[in-house]
Amino acid sequence: MALQKRIWRILSENKGRYIGIFILIFLGSFTLVAAKGFADNYGLLVNRFALHNLQEDLSFSVDQPLEGLAALKQETGAAIEPYRYADIPLSDKGELRLLTPQQTVNLPAVTSGSGLQQPGDILIDPFFASTHGFKIGDRIDTGHQSFRIVGTLALPHYIYPLKYINDILPPSGFGIGLVSPADMDSHPEAVTVYSVRFAARDNLGGQVIGLRAALEKQGVGLSDWTDAGNNKRIRMPWATITGAKTIAVPLPVALFLLCCLIVGIVIWRTVKADSVIIGALYAQGYRRRELTLHYLTLPLLLAAAGGLTGVLMGLPTIYPTVKYMANSYYIIPYEKLAVSAADVLAGILMPSAFLGLAAFLVIRRELRKTAGELMKGDRGKTKINFLERGLRLERFSFGTKFRLREQLRSIPRLLFLLFGVTAASVMMMFGFTINHSMNVVFQSGVDGTYDYAWEYSFKETRQGQVPNGATPFNALRCYPESKENAEFYLTGIASNADGIFLRDAGGNLLPKNQVNITYLLADRLKLREGQRIAFVSKLDGRSYELVVDGIVQTYSGQFIYMPLEDFNKLTGQPAGSYTGVFSMGKLPYEDWELAGVKDLQNLNNTMEDLAAPMTLMVIFMALIAALMGAIIIYLVTSLMIEESRATISLLKVFGYRGKEVRSLILNGSAWVVLLGFMLSIPLMLASASALYGYLGEMINMVLPIMLNPAYVILSFALIVTVYQATKGLSGRKLIKIPMSEALKAGSE
Amino acid sequence: MFLTVSNLTKSYYGGITTPVLDGINMELEQGSIGVILGPSGSGKSTLMNIIGGVDRADGGEVLVDGINVTALTDDQLTEYRRERIGFIFQFYNLIPNLTVAENIEVVSNISKAPLPVDDVLSAVGLADKKRRFPRELSGGEQQRVSIARAIVKNPALLLCDEPTGALDYVTSRDVLALLQKVNTEYGTSILMITHNSAIAGMAQAVYKLRDGKVAEAYRNSQLVPAERIEW
Ligand SMILES: Nc1ncnc2c1ncn2[C@@H]1O[C@H](COP(=O)(O)OP(=O)(O)OP(=O)(O)O)[C@@H](O)[C@H]1O
Ligand SMILES: [Mg+2]
Repeated sequence: MALQKRIWRILSENKGRYIGIFILIFLGSFTLVAAKGFADNYGLLVNRFALHNLQEDLSFSVDQPLEGLAALKQETGAAIEPYRYADIPLSDKGELRLLTPQQTVNLPAVTSGSGLQQPGDILIDPFFASTHGFKIGDRIDTGHQSFRIVGTLALPHYIYPLKYINDILPPSGFGIGLVSPADMDSHPEAVTVYSVRFAARDNLGGQVIGLRAALEKQGVGLSDWTDAGNNKRIRMPWATITGAKTIAVPLPVALFLLCCLIVGIVIWRTVKADSVIIGALYAQGYRRRELTLHYLTLPLLLAAAGGLTGVLMGLPTIYPTVKYMANSYYIIPYEKLAVSAADVLAGILMPSAFLGLAAFLVIRRELRKTAGELMKGDRGKTKINFLERGLRLERFSFGTKFRLREQLRSIPRLLFLLFGVTAASVMMMFGFTINHSMNVVFQSGVDGTYDYAWEYSFKETRQGQVPNGATPFNALRCYPESKENAEFYLTGIASNADGIFLRDAGGNLLPKNQVNITYLLADRLKLREGQRIAFVSKLDGRSYELVVDGIVQTYSGQFIYMPLEDFNKLTGQPAGSYTGVFSMGKLPYEDWELAGVKDLQNLNNTMEDLAAPMTLMVIFMALIAALMGAIIIYLVTSLMIEESRATISLLKVFGYRGKEVRSLILNGSAWVVLLGFMLSIPLMLASASALYGYLGEMINMVLPIMLNPAYVILSFALIVTVYQATKGLSGRKLIKIPMSEALKAGSE
Repeated sequence: MFLTVSNLTKSYYGGITTPVLDGINMELEQGSIGVILGPSGSGKSTLMNIIGGVDRADGGEVLVDGINVTALTDDQLTEYRRERIGFIFQFYNLIPNLTVAENIEVVSNISKAPLPVDDVLSAVGLADKKRRFPRELSGGEQQRVSIARAIVKNPALLLCDEPTGALDYVTSRDVLALLQKVNTEYGTSILMITHNSAIAGMAQAVYKLRDGKVAEAYRNSQLVPAERIEW
């Protein structure tokens, strides 16, 4: 059809506009394919690894070697197998955790090189290998042992290689290595841990209870009981996967919807402007379907091009991202990835469906008119919408009235700008806010709660004196009766522990002889002072109940603090029992006695390791958001200028100066941008809280939802800069509009 | 003399050069009405646009109230239009999304000493329709708004390009009467383009253009009130 030639002319007449829409669609499809492809593939690999390599369901330690293991296995139908581990400091500021292989649970996956063949061989994790520059064939010297690196590996119970289970990050330079049991024999300090995997894959909760009962019947002292569901080494990948999933669909859909609005406006205007021609074509026997198709060509072309480009550029990012994550973050074996055909189709077709439908509805409404009606041509006869009519603006200055009316003239355009700015701001602040929450959590170690420098926790409960300058504590892992995955520590601390400061929201010190709950846990369980909390011990399943006296304003995790004496009484332990100490100085404990050591004042160092990639990601997100904002503001401004050509020309004729015209036409959107930004704050908090909620459910990690005013201001400054720059660009278009337009044209 | 046009020339270049104004001479006294007649394409609008400072001449001179319009820079032209000229168009050129009162404010907003908007609205007989939007008015009413908008700044010169071109007979006469009233009440000089030679009766000075030249020019000593013009 000769009509189709017009498409190219229309496209090239408004290049900027269509490039803008194209980029928005592209970003949508790209995100859809890349984020979903990553999340799905990585999730699949993690799940497959857990399944094929028989990931443990739980692990525990015992106070004496477990006897009758065979009978126990028989009774519970579970694979129960111990492994040993020992931590070896390396000469160059690193630490290697040696582990022994297991045969029935947590099967190691060799990701390069070969498996262990003989004593002296070692398999190490690929991240450790790359940070220390180790290659296959190299030797690792531990001082009194020398290992030959035969390959790299992934371990199902060390996907996220944390040194201590309650850490958020592995210490820098830390890694894991698999060695033969014979090599481990020369480490008498090695710790034994039992890994359990049940044969029947359903009713795991019930089987756990059965196993615990069986163990208690034997009278063994259990410690470090850790369900896989609460094990960050196992569950942490889901934080990232969930994060990617949260943006994988909503962001593209938001972008596509925005494009619908803008394309709807553009098409409507084109059809309107053409109405006389359309009428004439009707009269000559053109069919409605042919014309509809003609006007659909442009949006469909844009959608298909944007969608296809997005998919084509999104697909190649999946494999490198998965590979990078699998090698250096959450260590898993990775293999050929499967790209979901549905995702690819969605990436290509979703924009077409969205835009096609929006355009179709608009076109159909216009084309329903008769040829006569159309030929009369009510071009320029803009209807007055209810907002414009309803407003009583008399008391405002002319400039304000004019700007307001200019914005209200087209409600779809107004919505596009409003939601566009909101979406861009949400995206920008989302990254900043997550970054901030993480920082707060890491820094909470130095938020003044602990004046102590070190926290030592022992493998076994002790009684008696603690060293000078140290204060004892005892702790029990528990979960609320109604919410099993909200695991927390019930911690008994000495009432006279003068290095612990529990403060309430007002900054007042809370007495240590009462029950105090940390803010994050209280918030998660919706608990307030004076309310009762019923909870269950993870260790023996006993139920307890306490009344909360105070809420501690700290972001350092989920704890209930109570006096040590009361704690021991409550849990039925001998008076003076403790499982750890806080101390001002370093204490000469041996590694084998300890379950963990925390440097309470220097958590920041670890944070820096995480900070760099995190900052990069946040900056990247902010830049994409700024680009999005720029495109949206540009599209609206250029549309507005075009719709107001006659007015602009007229203002010039009347003797308005260039600056005055610019201010009237361009500054009117400022309040919409401001409103859009303000809307984004609650919206962003809501989406962050949704994501944090997931994280809590998935990995029992709670982050405080906090707005950092500095980041809000930074985001606002970015949006304003984008707005101003875009206005500057559009200003040039304004200058080009000639006065003759008003002199010739007969508008209303 | 309030308005003096001397030897004004203007051509459009585009392949072949078409002379549009070819040595125009014209005079108008302070406070009087001038009418420009002539067939389509004879250069009426072009002439008026140059006088109004929205277009530029190739040669010759335009003096308005002592200002040499042809010598002004673009910025000076803007100030000139802003302070001295009122425009009225054939198709009214009202801004569709502004109310009647707001359309008038478009001009009063940038005037040094504007008349009160309500006063001019009463003067054009639309005091009760100030909150309406242009599309809710008849053509004649719209042209009244456009007149109110032009006179609110109390311009030295009112330029009207076929102000009744889109109106029927009765409405046209009302609009012309209004213009005449403006001329006598405010003492505004008016230059008006029309196709309708009957209208020439209400003007002191009449110029007929043909092919960019003044084909005929005469003065009326006896003015016809607009209400009595017939065609
Ligand atoms: N921008 C332009 N480029 C080329 N030629 C032009 C341009 N504007 C006007 N002309 C030509 O100049 C001549 C005079 O135009 P003008 O608009 O002054 O005529 P007019 O007397 O006002 O006609 P009408 O009564 O139809 O309004 C016409 O022949 C027209 O084609
Ligand atoms: Mg003309």
